[in-house]
Amino acid sequence: MIDILIDGQTVSVEPGTTVLEAARLAGIRIPTLCDHEGLAPEGNCRLCSVEVTERGRTRVAMSCMYPVNREGIEVRTDTDRVRTARRFVLQMLADRNPNAPVLQELCAEYGVTPAPAAEIEPELCIRCGRCVRACETNGTSALSFAGRGWGREVTPPFHEASPDCIGCLSCADVCPTGRITWEEKNGKRTIWGKTFDLAECENCHEFYATVEQLLVAGADPESARLCPRCRRIAQQERLRLGSRKD
Amino acid sequence: MKLNSPQALEEWKASLAETGKAGVSLPRVRVCAGTGCLANGSAKVKAAFEAEAAARGMALGIDFAAESTGCHGFCERGPLVVIEPGEILYEKVKPEDVREIFEKTLLGKEIVSRLQYRDPNTKKAARTAGEIPFYARQERLVLERCGEVNPFEIADAVRHGAYLGLARALSLEPAEIVSIVKESGLRGRGGGGFPTGAKWESASKASGRHRFVIANGDEGDPGAFMDRSLMEGDPHSVLEGMIIGAYAVGARKGFLYVRAEYPLAVKALQEAIRQAKERGLLGRDILGSGLDFDLEVCRGGGAFVCGESSALMASIEGRAGEPRVKYIRSTERGLWNCPTVLNNVETWANVPRIVLNGPAWFRSMGTEKSPGTKIFSLVGKVKNSGLVEIPMGTTLRTIIEDIGGGVLKNRAFKAVQTGGPSGGCLPASALDLPVDFDALVASGSMMGSGGMIVMDERTCMVDLARYFIDFLAEESCGKCTPCREGLKALQRILRDLCSGRGRPGDGKRLEALGKALGDTALCGLGQTAPNPVLSVLRHFPEEIAEHESEHFCRAGACKGMYWPEIDPSKCVGCGACRKACAAGAIRGDIRTPHVVDRSLCVTCGACLEACPFSAIRPVRREAQA
Repeated sequence: MIDILIDGQTVSVEPGTTVLEAARLAGIRIPTLCDHEGLAPEGNCRLCSVEVTERGRTRVAMSCMYPVNREGIEVRTDTDRVRTARRFVLQMLADRNPNAPVLQELCAEYGVTPAPAAEIEPELCIRCGRCVRACETNGTSALSFAGRGWGREVTPPFHEASPDCIGCLSCADVCPTGRITWEEKNGKRTIWGKTFDLAECENCHEFYATVEQLLVAGADPESARLCPRCRRIAQQERLRLGSRKD
Repeated sequence: MKLNSPQALEEWKASLAETGKAGVSLPRVRVCAGTGCLANGSAKVKAAFEAEAAARGMALGIDFAAESTGCHGFCERGPLVVIEPGEILYEKVKPEDVREIFEKTLLGKEIVSRLQYRDPNTKKAARTAGEIPFYARQERLVLERCGEVNPFEIADAVRHGAYLGLARALSLEPAEIVSIVKESGLRGRGGGGFPTGAKWESASKASGRHRFVIANGDEGDPGAFMDRSLMEGDPHSVLEGMIIGAYAVGARKGFLYVRAEYPLAVKALQEAIRQAKERGLLGRDILGSGLDFDLEVCRGGGAFVCGESSALMASIEGRAGEPRVKYIRSTERGLWNCPTVLNNVETWANVPRIVLNGPAWFRSMGTEKSPGTKIFSLVGKVKNSGLVEIPMGTTLRTIIEDIGGGVLKNRAFKAVQTGGPSGGCLPASALDLPVDFDALVASGSMMGSGGMIVMDERTCMVDLARYFIDFLAEESCGKCTPCREGLKALQRILRDLCSGRGRPGDGKRLEALGKALGDTALCGLGQTAPNPVLSVLRHFPEEIAEHESEHFCRAGACKGMYWPEIDPSKCVGCGACRKACAAGAIRGDIRTPHVVDRSLCVTCGACLEACPFSAIRPVRREAQA
């Protein structure tokens, strides 16, 4: 275990723990946007900045990726420099995405007033890449970033319906701003320009997954007639009946 | 023939020197075939020499030799031709000149004076390169073979001493080489100035089964061409440095990452690798030492950010060229998460010389904290532009006034931009600054890879900052918020300032945005991106103030933000401005002072450029808001 000093508190953590994780252990809140507990950190939104002093050198660092690998690291999460850095990042993001609820809340907390330039169309995408990482983590990799700089955007390749997309909605689930939308009607789901047939549960008649999702999960869509919930109930039922026979 | 020991290399070198001399020295012309001279037609010049020799019944290689060499450095005067013996230099040589050169200089020992370099100030002709201040004040250490040897012929490089450093390195222990490099004080020539020896030591101590060495040849700064010239002109220096580095840190594989816009450099490196392998200087059991090391050229796709080390490695791995957060250094987890040493090509080319001559020799040049030399590409409004190698600590004044010959058209010097888009502009008051890593950073600029752009009074500093921010906004990968959104915000303010829409307080806004951007961006590109703006704010605040409050551009570069005014006491009525004006806004009879008709003037600035007497100057517009 390694000791780290955060805002005057000493926290003991496993080597390799990030400053963000250590701060959370100490009950110190650091705002984040691109961070997600199920995804590898990337450190791109730059909101979780803190001041780190190590070996006599102080700098602004991203807590989500800064590893605690040796003794003697001191972290301050609420200095003027940190607040200036966070305000700058929020201002930049909110100017382009003034309607994103998560940004509106953070802006209110940090006293930032979004000032979108007149010529810029309001958006909802903060390019945090959670969707891209989720899709990659699932093994589908149907989404990626295209373009660069200001023109960077999330899209399936060539802005076309991706043959790899399985319509699982993981991207939408992890999106912090609600940018990723989909539609469901008449047993079909449409997302990223691609329409999927949904499998219907024989028991509860809920549409519970796309056929492509079942295939990726290794289930035969013909025999997977129950949704996960009904399947669990049915399995318990079978076990109960089986044990009674003995 | 494979060389299987350092002795075999020495013997080969000795045998090459014999054939080179051939009793009396062989008449030989060295035609520069660097990219600049090639573009000016040097391939035809060389062909003309060969044709002329053939027509005179001289056998090539026996009675006469014409060699294509790498860049001589004085690109502006190309195509350059050097005649041996005598080292006679001719500039701007055309195929039509070849017969005369042959007859007079090669056969008759007579100089063709119209092809000689003439000092722009004294009009004195120079016989050899050494007589030209542009060359005389340089210390060509890394560039010693550039322009001397044929880069496509390993024998030529070996004859001039290539691979002797490697032979010496192989007689030492890897750890000894690391300490030699550490002692030498060599710092990364790519711009950051990180101590090379410390980097090597860290990689050699890091745990991992595989290790890699990489040469960064993804030079992308506008106006910079040091690395290109080195790779084109003396690829073996880079290879040799990398082989020594690989031996020192224990790597078996290396990559040369070169931008695809440098086809000649790619070709030269690939051919150098092939020939080095053929000679047993690369590949398995190098010089019989048991060292195995292989090199591969990787071509970059032209993204500026791929010059950043972690983006470069991502690109080699086949992923999108985007940087990663580097709280764990590449020397521990770099290419494919293995310990990796990445150095700029110029850094690598320094290594063989340091190993051969020792750290004390290297420290005898340059300054205490920045020993050695540095190659710069001196461009912009300077009389002699080109590639220059100087000891660290040389003042900007020496570089610009002595080597560069001063500002073009003898206009007033305004600023010099060093370090490319990550660097900054330094004003005339900084001219006596010694050029080394730390002095440049302290004055708000940086060494960068070595671009040096000289500017005169016609350059608007706000417009210059706008240019660099435009460049960076275009080249930002967009991964992190500060760089992607922040550069756009800076760009919006700067574009407003340069088009008469500036608002009071814009300078303050630029400063706040710039500082926050530098503090929070993910990689080196973003962290240094605001430097051009911050250095203009620091050194030229009055120009920012005039743009934001008066909508006035004193340089006459920003359209619609000044009127050109002709000073009747200076105007001789030559008509140059009248002819240059496409809008027909200048009137006047010959030999009488001209006047500008403001109702027609579109403020394109052509008259300011055209006037040979500096009689036209930009003035404030009266009815400005």
